[in-house]
Amino acid sequence: MEATHDQGTWKHWLEAHGPKLLLCARQWTRSLADAEDVVQEAFVRYWRHQRHLPGDPQALLITSIRRAALDHARRHARRTAREEKADGGLEERDCTFEAQPGEDADRRNEIESALQRLPAVQREVLVLKIWNELTFEQIGEALEIPANTAASRYRYALAALRKELKPACHG
Amino acid sequence: MDESLQELENELKTLQPRRAPARWLDQINRELAAELPASARPRYATATDLGSWKWLGWRTAALAAALALVATVGLINFRRPAPVAAPAVVAAAPTPATPAAAKAYEPVTASNVLYDLKDEGEVKLAGEASARQVRARYVDTYTWKNTRNNASIKWTVPRDEIRVVPASYNPN
Repeated sequence: MEATHDQGTWKHWLEAHGPKLLLCARQWTRSLADAEDVVQEAFVRYWRHQRHLPGDPQALLITSIRRAALDHARRHARRTAREEKADGGLEERDCTFEAQPGEDADRRNEIESALQRLPAVQREVLVLKIWNELTFEQIGEALEIPANTAASRYRYALAALRKELKPACHG
Repeated sequence: MDESLQELENELKTLQPRRAPARWLDQINRELAAELPASARPRYATATDLGSWKWLGWRTAALAAALALVATVGLINFRRPAPVAAPAVVAAAPTPATPAAAKAYEPVTASNVLYDLKDEGEVKLAGEASARQVRARYVDTYTWKNTRNNASIKWTVPRDEIRVVPASYNPN
């Protein structure tokens, strides 16, 4: 994280953390393109004006990304409603995880689908905890909820996933 | 967390989020590279810029609030009538230690909320005089703000105020 404080090294930091931030932004946006816009907006603002602030840059960025996503959603609410009416509400479904050599692609797809079916409030906590490695306190701050609520949403999310994935994995 | 949840958690951790596209990194690179020179940059782009007029505005507002608070407290003390013959209730204001960091905090708001007012009945004062005792219960809230880093401290104190009002009985 310290790397973000040195001019010129942001690219390395973003290469390492960008995928996690994009995944996180994807929970609050309708498409990957919107997620990219939102992370870009938040990162550029962070780099220009907030990089000298104390604290964990990733947690600060996630809070900033969430706000940018909410603003983006508000700005485009009218357009979104019009598009939903026209295309029947279909959302762009993009691949969330990287394909890895030797992995079971069916299993990965199954997990992605199960994740999509989770309630949004549980999915966002799961994403922040598993792939952004935030503590429940940091998640609580980012989502403006108590840490205990974040922890219980996380447990509900895991339990719901286990139920969905049971036949394939834990049966 | 039971074992099967732990197992699932570990499985999820093995999944790697999709790599950030190179064109997206290039786009950010271009945007950051195109950063305007300081002279041409919009001066008040964001409230997180400490040089922003918004911060100046907040500083001024905080100062004005602090002055208003001091003036109000001074006025109240100036106008307070002489206490009646009753046990005086003194709210001991703590005298905070003021290290250098604490001096950066300025009071910005002070408020009190009356949440209960109870007539506790007749009491006898010295000399057999009668009086009624009224208890008012308040919550006082004071806020200080550090204008350097925008940190704030809120102090909320419950306060009971007992008023003893001399009562005179007229048999007619």
